[in-house]
Formats: sequence, structure tokens, C-alpha cells
Amino acid sequence: MAIESINGCIGCEECIKSCPTDVIRLDQKTKKAIITFPEDCQICHLCRLYCPVDAITITPEKSIPVIVSWG
Amino acid sequence: MSSSKENGKISRRSFIALAGGAAGAMALASMGMPMGWAENNPEIDVDALGLDKFNTDVLVIGSGMAGLFAAVKAHDAGAKVMMVSKGRLGSSGQTPFAKGIFAFDPEKEELSIDEFVAKISRSAMGSNNEAYTRQMAEHSLDRVNELKSWGFFDSAIYNKSFSKPINERNIPVHERIVVTHLIKEDEKIVGAAGFSVDEQKVLIYEAKSVILCTGAGGFKPNGFPIGDLTHDGTIMAYDIGAKVTGKEWNDGHPGRAENPAACYDGWGDMFENKPSTVSVEVHHDLGVDLNYMVYASGNSVTMGRPGEGDMNAVSGGPFTPEEFKRQETGRRPGPQSDEGRPPRGEGKPPGGGKPPKDGGGGPPGMSGTPVGGSSAGMAIHKSEGLVPINERCESNIPGLYAAGDALGSYMSGGIYTQIGSSLAGSAVQGGVAGEAAAKYSKTVGSVSISDAKIKDVEEEILAPLKREAGYSPAWVTQTLQGIMIPNFILYVKKENLMKGALAYIEELRDQHMGHLRAANLHDLRLAHETRNMIVSAEMKLRASLMRKESRCSHYRLDYPEMDDENWRAWINIYKGEDGTMQLEKQPFGQWPNQGAEIV
Amino acid sequence: MGLVMKKERKIYQYLPLVLAFIVLPLLLWFLSDFPERSLQMNALSLLTILAFSLLLAQFFLSRTNRDMVKKVKMSNVLKIHKFIGYVFIGIIMLHPFFILVPKFLDDAVSPKDAFIRVITSFDNIGLVLGLVAYSAMLVIMITSFFRFKLHMKYRTWRTFHAYLTTIFIVAAIWHAITLGRHSNGAFTLFYVITGASGIFFLIRMYVLKPSKKPIKNV
Ligand SMILES: Cc1cc2nc3c(=O)[nH]c(=O)nc-3n(C[C@H](O)[C@H](O)[C@H](O)COP(=O)(O)OP(=O)(O)OC[C@H]3O[C@@H](n4cnc5c(N)ncnc54)[C@H](O)[C@@H]3O)c2cc1C
Ligand code: HEM
Ligand code: SF4
Ligand code: SF4
Repeated sequence: MAIESINGCIGCEECIKSCPTDVIRLDQKTKKAIITFPEDCQICHLCRLYCPVDAITITPEKSIPVIVSWG
Repeated sequence: MSSSKENGKISRRSFIALAGGAAGAMALASMGMPMGWAENNPEIDVDALGLDKFNTDVLVIGSGMAGLFAAVKAHDAGAKVMMVSKGRLGSSGQTPFAKGIFAFDPEKEELSIDEFVAKISRSAMGSNNEAYTRQMAEHSLDRVNELKSWGFFDSAIYNKSFSKPINERNIPVHERIVVTHLIKEDEKIVGAAGFSVDEQKVLIYEAKSVILCTGAGGFKPNGFPIGDLTHDGTIMAYDIGAKVTGKEWNDGHPGRAENPAACYDGWGDMFENKPSTVSVEVHHDLGVDLNYMVYASGNSVTMGRPGEGDMNAVSGGPFTPEEFKRQETGRRPGPQSDEGRPPRGEGKPPGGGKPPKDGGGGPPGMSGTPVGGSSAGMAIHKSEGLVPINERCESNIPGLYAAGDALGSYMSGGIYTQIGSSLAGSAVQGGVAGEAAAKYSKTVGSVSISDAKIKDVEEEILAPLKREAGYSPAWVTQTLQGIMIPNFILYVKKENLMKGALAYIEELRDQHMGHLRAANLHDLRLAHETRNMIVSAEMKLRASLMRKESRCSHYRLDYPEMDDENWRAWINIYKGEDGTMQLEKQPFGQWPNQGAEIV
Repeated sequence: MGLVMKKERKIYQYLPLVLAFIVLPLLLWFLSDFPERSLQMNALSLLTILAFSLLLAQFFLSRTNRDMVKKVKMSNVLKIHKFIGYVFIGIIMLHPFFILVPKFLDDAVSPKDAFIRVITSFDNIGLVLGLVAYSAMLVIMITSFFRFKLHMKYRTWRTFHAYLTTIFIVAAIWHAITLGRHSNGAFTLFYVITGASGIFFLIRMYVLKPSKKPIKNV
């Protein structure tokens, strides 16, 4: 399911800023990144590349219906 | 929720379900639909939303490659500059994913600039604007050297190197601000407006000139990382009377059948590589040929290993000039990207770095079974966007400039020609536009936006939050995708099918666009994006219907030949007096409405 | 023969500790469904967790564990206590750098930038506690190493050591729970229970029943 989990987050917000489609937000209570709008994840891995502690796990599958032109 | 309310809604729901059924298998078959119409339960207090106002000389909208140079060069030309972007500097739009940048080094190249421009024009079948092709080549090395000095080539992610010149100049950057409106008063630009996705705030920017560096866009397709780009700049500008071009061209990137939504995986490990430079290598690439091949052979070609498919087995289809036909040795046919991927066996990818994971040299997604439409809704870079009235990136609205993918400069024409020139073109045009806008802003006295105007704009921005019920943007987007992506609509174009699609898109425009709902600021962004996609879809269909010929990446099954007599012309789109979409021709090689020659 | 038996019995004394502080965390690790990661990163994480677990075990490898000290010679217990202390504190000291290993392997964020990011994320309570625990740990280690040069009375030193350890362990557990990528429910429970019982032992010894019959130090 695209961006799947965040573990070991230090709450630096790099991923939140770097996600082009605004998938991740900061949990104001725990001060950690939480996956908030996974349906908009485009599986581009920018969040993971920007994360200083490699906390983000992304899988290639997307669970919402995927529309393709043909094939 | 009380049961009476629930009951009240049922009729509405079944009505929508019926309407959906009428929209046909075309739209529905491909999706497990989320609920379209529903009550809106805003999570924020709309009336408590704040408003912030800023004033500057030059407002740069967008923070990709074009935005970077626009801001830097406008500042260096003496203007007060602000940058505002939907995403992060260097980590939004398409820029983060581009790894090969063209640098024309006259010392090293065999071709002269004149020869280079002529070669591009041959590949583009005349559809390029030679002034912009030349400009890109002339300035590319300088921009690349600046990038080098900022550390661009040292990292696979660009925020740090982009931040360097911006911070050195103390240019304010507002990130995660969705700009939704350009504001025009007395026939010239006076600023822009948008909202923050983080803070409950509407933002008003008063500016003497605005440079749109908002990139291109698409229908939030799967497999190409343009989920944040919905032609926002183009549509905002169209709304205030700017001319827009290039909507009939197509980027034909295929995706992979396996996990088609996974952009990263589709590109091997390219997103993780550092960028590098590319030298002259002109192609006629990534049109619609692969789509045609699949179409003609009934979608049954096995796209096994690279090199296996045989383009020659299918006759007809999009035309490639003889000079640019690829050698078929050990290489699969079909579209090639400009993104720095060589044909097989040519050694080091021009994009530099490691060869793709799968070892094949085909474009991304070419290992395994490909699927179409991964970049649906996007045209060839630099072919679509605002119509420039001169080689200084100026639009027909005084004070409004555009650069990079947001400018319909036809730098490359209706087809991909020079590898890596998209990134270089954005850098070069950003610089040119920055200087031009700074110069223009010196001729303008102070600007301000009237309170009445601000009130109107604010109302429009927040409307989806205030609706008591409406369609979810995600659902409307899926419906639009169902209309615009399958059936080769944009790849193998046919009059009837496009007319059918246009009828559906008009329906979305008239019945859904005004009823988009949003419960939070993320949704609000989606609502505005969805609206822009609907307008873009209409533009694409109308322009494609109008161009009754085939050329470059525009392929009409019913008009398969190139028609030089009638169609050595670009198509411009603008909003008519009555608010409807108007289309006009602009001859190749001329600036709009002036008959002035380009070169 | 008798000697061997005795030795075996002695080793047998450590079995519960081995089970609780090595086997149990390993078991928890392999039974949990953690997101896939590279072998090297998993190995480093496991090493960190085991190191931490063994530091928790220190409570039970000291005077507080009267039952054991009775059966095994204090000098032996102390040897183990010292060994675990120096070696695994060393590992824990390195663990903020383990986390940066992936940053050496890709071309994205540089390890230096990542490190600066990590140690300056003061907004995050977990990280601040990590820094506190780290400092406490350093002081513990240094004051242990230079114990004889400190010219402290042994008793004073021991009390100091114990209190500092308590602060350290509380901060470290809190840190590991809030930040640890593997701190799921099971590990959280494990850290809390072991930590709490360790501290309980300590308090029992120092506060509730000051030991009347001190065991001779070696
Ligand atoms: C996967 C991939 C690989 C590519 N590889 C190459 C390559 O190797 N070589 C090459 O030359 N080209 C390549 N390209 C093309 C190249 O990336 C683009 O042409 C170029 O980066 C465009 O730059 P830009 O600054 O014009 O627009 P973008 O980089 O798209 O930037 C658009 C900016 O506008 C902002 N924006 C958009 N809408 C709004 C709004 N409403 N309000 C505020 N801000 C907004 C966005 O946040 C973003 O910052 C590739 C593209 C992709 C997708
Ligand atoms: C400078 C001080 C410290 C920093 C910057 C730091 C940083 C971190 C970070 C970022 C994590 C989460 C990432 C991950 O789990 O992979 C983590 C986890 C952890 N830390 Fe620390 N830490 C520090 C000190 C300590 C100390 C003193 C201890 C304990 C003795 C400790 C024990 C742990 C443990 C056990 C984990 C959990 C590991 C896991 O779940 O995989 N840390 N630390
Ligand atoms: S993979 Fe890309 S789209 Fe998905 S959360 Fe990360 S940055 Fe956002
Ligand atoms: S970048 Fe990594 S550490 Fe920083 S907030 Fe995101 S997940 Fe957490």
C-alpha cells in the first residue's frame, strides 16, 4: 500500500516537507511523522531519501484502484 | 447520523449511482468507486481562517529548476523577489526526478549551434520555436556551471543545492502554499493568491510581476511522478485571459504492468542517482508509437524482454523522420525517454550514474510488460503552457511571465528531441524570465489588490470547505481518469471517441466542478487540482479534435498524414468573452498575432 | 569431577538471566512482524537492542541480586558486570551512528547532515531523553573507569553509581520506547518490566533494607 510505515522517526519533518503530494503530516502529540493521506502517495520515495534515519518503508503496491490506459 | 438524514440521502445516492451508470462502462469498469456525493463535514472552522498579505516586485510561483533560476536571476537583476510553492524547493514538481541535464559546450561539440538548432527542427518537423531552441543551447552551459558551484551534482536530492543560492540572497520562500489565483487589475498582473495546507490561512501576494514556474501537469496518472502537478499555472493564467498552447501533444511514457503505480520502481534506481550532464544527442522520441503498436495488434503483443517486440510487424502509425529512426540492433522499439536512458549497448547512460537495474537500456518500465498512460494528461515538456509573445518568456498579459514546463515555448517542439534539454530549458528560461520580470517591475509603480477583489478571491478559494455536501475530489478525479486514460483516447486519436469523451468532460465541468467538497486543507488542495484537471482535459480534447493531421506526438487515426499545407501551425487556447474555450492557429515560426518572424 | 560439577552449577546460575535478557529479546524480535530491512541494518538494530537488554541485565548482575551473589562469587559477578558495562556501553555509544549507515550507502542526505539533523531534533522528547541518557551513560562509564582516581569513598561512589544508573535507565527506556523502530508492544513491555524490576531491586537495597551484612568487595 504505497508508503507503508514509519518506524524510528525523530520528528525532523524532512519527509513531510519533501513529499510532493502531502501524504505525511506531523502528529502534534507524539511529534512524529504519520502517514495521513496514503491514497495520494505516488511511490516516488522522496520522503525516504530525505529521511535522515531511514525510518520510512515503502512498498510498490497500491491498494486503491489503479487506472491504466491499456495492458 | 440520524436515520432520517440517512433516508434523505438515499434518493440522492441512488440518483448518483444511476448517473454513474449512465456515464457508462467506460468510466466505471476500471474502478472500485469511492462514494462520490456525500455530506461535507469540515474539520476546520472556515470562518476563523486567517489572511496574510505580502508585497514584492517579482513573485516566483514554483520551486523546481525554472523557479530556482527565476528567483536567483530576478534578484540579481535588482528586484525584490519572493518564491512561493505548493511543495518544497527542489523536491516538488518534476525536477527532483530528472537526472540528466544538457550542456552545450561549443568547445567540445562537433555541431555548431546553428547546426544543432537545424537538427532539432528537422526532428520536430517544424513544430519547435527556434528562438527558444537556440536560447536553451546558448545558455545551458552557464546555468550548468552555476548549478555545479551550488553542489547540484553532488547529491541525488536537490533541496540543499537549491537552497544555497536562495539563502545567500535571503530570498523568502513560502513552501506548501497552493496558489489558486492570479490577480489582474487594469489589464495587468498585480499578484496572486492561494492557501497554506498547514496553517489555516489564505495568502495574498501583491506583486508587480509574476513568473509562473508551476511546471506541467497530468491527470494524476499512475507510474509517473506528477501527482502534484495539475497544470495549475496554465489554468490560473487561462482564467485571467492568458493564451495557452500545446494541448494536443502527448508524452507517451509507458509504465509497468507489475505495480503500475510505483514510479520509483518503474525507473530502476534512477531517482537515487546523482545528476550528471549530457551532450548533443538528438532523437525523435517518446511519441505514441508504442501505444499505436499495441492498439494495432489488439493489445496482444507480448512485451517480454527488451528487443523482443518487433515494431516492423505493425505497419502505419506515427511517422518518424528517416534521419531519426533508431538502429534496431538489440534494442526494443517504442518510445524512448529524454531522461537519459540510452539505447541498449551504447554503454554509459547519458544520464550518467549507474546503468539501470534491469540491465536493459530501454526506457523505464520497459522491462516486464509495459502498460500505457503512465504520464496521461501531460504533453511533451515545453510544448504546453503559456504562449510566449517574445523570446523573453512574456505572456500576453503584461507582467505575467512563465518559464520551464509552464511555458509553451516549443523549445523542443511536439516531440522529445535533445536528451536532457528539458531540465536545461527550465534552468535557462527561468533565468531569462527572471531578468525580464525584474526589468519590467522597475517600470511599474506600487501595486495593491483591492479589498473587494481579495474578498471575492478568498470566497472562491474556500468554497469547497463551505459546501454542505458535494463530490469528493478523489472520486471526480477517478471519474476523469476513467474517461481520459483508457481506450487510447489521447494516444490513437479518433474524432468520435474524442467527442464522446468531451461530452463526459463537459458534464464533469458543468455538473461536478462547482460541487467539489473539502473537509480539510488537503482536500481543498485536491479540489482545486481536480478543477484544473477538468479544464485541462477539455483543452486536450478540443485541441486534439482541431488538429486534423498527425505530427510528432499527436497521432490521429482518421488523419494519419502530416498536413503541411494547413498545419504548419500551433494551436492556442484562450477564454472567450462568453467564458467558453476558444481555439486559434498560430503559424510555426511566428510570434502570436503579429506576423513577426521568430528567428 | 566435583569441580566440574560446581562450575556447571555456577553457569547454571546465569541461565535465567541469559533466558530473560538474551533469549527473550531474540524471541520477541523474531516473532514480531517488522518491516523488511537489509540484513546489515537488522543486524545492527538487533545488536543495539541486545546491548540495551544486557545493560538492563546489569541490575541483576550486581549486589542487588543477593540470591545470585550468594551462589556465585561476587568477584565473578563483578567481572561480568564490568565486561558488559564497557563492551555494551561501547555499542550503545555507537548506535546513533549505526542509524546513519544507510546514509553512507546512498547519494541522498549526507551522513554529516543526517547526523546534525538527528542530534538537533530537540522538539522530540525521545531524542532529548536519548541525549540525556547518553550523557549519563558517559558519566557512568568515566566514573567507573576512573573510580580509584576519584578519591571517593567506595560507598559514596556506589550510591552515586546507582542513582545515576537509575536516571540513565529511565531516560534510556523512555527513549527506546518512543523512538525505537522496533519498540512495539512486546518490546515496550519487556523494557518496562525489566527496567522496573531492576530499579525495584535497587531501591529495595538502598532505601528499604540497607544490607546489614555487606558482601566483601574483591
Ligand atoms: C521521472 C522523470 C524523469 C525526468 N528526467 C529528465 C532528465 O533526465 N533530463 C531532463 O532534462 N528532463 C527530465 N525530466 C523532465 C524535467 O524534470 C522537467 O522538464 C523539469 O524538471 C521541469 O522543471 P520546472 O521547474 O519547469 O517544473 P517543475 O520541476 O515541475 O516544478 C513545478 C513547481 O511548481 C510548483 N507548483 C505547481 N503548482 C503550483 C501551485 N498551484 N501553487 C504553487 N506552486 C505550484 C510545484 O510545487 C513545483 O515546485 C524528467 C521528468 C520526470 C518526471
Ligand atoms: C546521543 C544520544 C542518542 C541518540 C541521538 C539516539 C538516537 C536514536 C534513534 C534516532 C533511535 C531510533 C532509530 C532506530 O530505532 O533505528 C534510537 C533507538 C534506540 N536507542 Fe538511542 N539514541 C541515543 C542514546 C541512546 C542511549 C543512551 C541508549 C541506551 C542505553 C539508547 C538505546 C536505544 C535503543 C534500545 C533503541 C531502540 C532500537 C530499535 O528499536 O531498533 N539510545 N536511538
Ligand atoms: S513515496 Fe513520494 S508520494 Fe509517497 S509519501 Fe513518500 S514522498 Fe510522498
Ligand atoms: S524524515 Fe524521517 S525522521 Fe524525519 S520526520 Fe520524517 S520519518 Fe521522521
